[in-house]
Amino acid sequence: MSEENWIEVGSTDSIEEEDLIRFDHQDKTFCVYKLTDGFYATDGICTHEAVHLEDGLVMDDEIECPMHQGIFNIKSGEALSPPACEDLKTYPVKVDNDKIFIKID
Amino acid sequence: MKNKIIILGGGQAGIYAAREIRQNDPKSNIKILGEENLLPYERPPLSKDFLLDKKKAEDLYFHSSDVLKNENIEFENISINKVDFENKKLFAKNDNVYSYDSLLISTGSENKKLTLDNNLKNDIYYLRNLEEAKKIKEIVSSKNKITIIGGGFIGLEIASSLSQLQKKVTVIEIGNQLMGRIIPKQIADLVQNTHIEHGNEIILNKQIEKITKKNDDYEILLNDNSFIETDFIIAGIGSTPTVKLFENTNLKLDNGIVTNEFCETSIKDVYAAGDVSNFYHPFYERNMRLESYQHAQNHGICAGKNIAGVKTEYTSIPWMWSDQFNLNLQLTGICDEYDEIIERGNDINNGVIYFFLKNNKIRGACGVGIIGKVGRDIRITSKLTEKDTIVDKQILSDQNLKLNKLIQK
Repeated sequence: MSEENWIEVGSTDSIEEEDLIRFDHQDKTFCVYKLTDGFYATDGICTHEAVHLEDGLVMDDEIECPMHQGIFNIKSGEALSPPACEDLKTYPVKVDNDKIFIKID
Repeated sequence: MKNKIIILGGGQAGIYAAREIRQNDPKSNIKILGEENLLPYERPPLSKDFLLDKKKAEDLYFHSSDVLKNENIEFENISINKVDFENKKLFAKNDNVYSYDSLLISTGSENKKLTLDNNLKNDIYYLRNLEEAKKIKEIVSSKNKITIIGGGFIGLEIASSLSQLQKKVTVIEIGNQLMGRIIPKQIADLVQNTHIEHGNEIILNKQIEKITKKNDDYEILLNDNSFIETDFIIAGIGSTPTVKLFENTNLKLDNGIVTNEFCETSIKDVYAAGDVSNFYHPFYERNMRLESYQHAQNHGICAGKNIAGVKTEYTSIPWMWSDQFNLNLQLTGICDEYDEIIERGNDINNGVIYFFLKNNKIRGACGVGIIGKVGRDIRITSKLTEKDTIVDKQILSDQNLKLNKLIQK
């Protein structure tokens, strides 16, 4: 695991609990979530139609797309409810000195 | 003995019911009888991404044939023309007979057709299924001036797509606003502005008097004696539940098949779900018939549970969407029973939502905004409605305050 792949997203207090922030890196968009048990990251665009999940609703461990209510598990990326049927890619997250990092492959 | 379950209608409600039955009942025979020779597919993209060539026909299927095979769900393309509820049998046009122990009717709805005195029946196009969408897509490629009769969801979505294909589009609507059957005028007017900004012509309060064919083109006479010249006509003037098969039976019909909150019809062991069902909604304490993606899915699932013996009340709060140009419109609950309206936001770029309240509780809401801007709030609204929450109107009306603060956990 090379250190270069860990990208700094921001400080841990930049996300409210049970909420998310959008993070753009190079030409990709990610969503970084703060759940009750820690931080998580997924792709930032819904797998159903190209809409940003940053405007979606985070409830418990799920993110719901704001356009057509496709639901994904934030921790596993699993598509839980149609119209989404393709899973959302997830990324490892670590916290170091109150800063959030995600590992992009 | 294994139970024989027949699902009449191969759409979204049917496939979701079938899979739900299988989840709860590994043994029964489950057979879907579909009139289209296609596995159940998603219809919303037909008027949008399919016309725009962003989605192909093969992208639309809910599940592959492998999924059905693995779950031992049979699908047969057949047209039924007689039902004998007393002896629990269905008769097909080709003389096949299907007997059942439980029957789910999920025949959906069909387009209303224009009544025209001259013989132009084959000149007017409608869009409900994949075949019709393919035809429209093929023909419009060589047309320029398109007229859409009916300013409802389907007409406006087609108008948006064809405008994006550089067509000159005119929409004629009989009512004094677009989408008047269920969308509040405030929201409809915002959508109308977007159509006009993109070059679509919207004509309200006008009726079609006559359509005349002139060579390959048409002349549409309106009731104010004005004419529209056009080279292609599509009508989207509403739909009716597909119940013809049951008209001379003792199945109770009233704007569709009347069902209770458990998807049960007036006949034992016969259930109905989706567009075709006029169901009792225990939360709203009234019957309603819905034509939407979410309803077809959830109602199908609910029927599936009940058929499999897992008694389940249908309490889903209605939700639907429409995508036109860069706008996403969403509606939750019902917006025709209220004593107060609260507005949230006034700029379509950030989303505008109208909440319809009765006794300080939300009964429904309708919003529109640039894609992504109203979904979260509408979803929270569904939850607030479902929980019958007395809401803080200050939070509802102030876009800077987050709605999820209103959800009581």
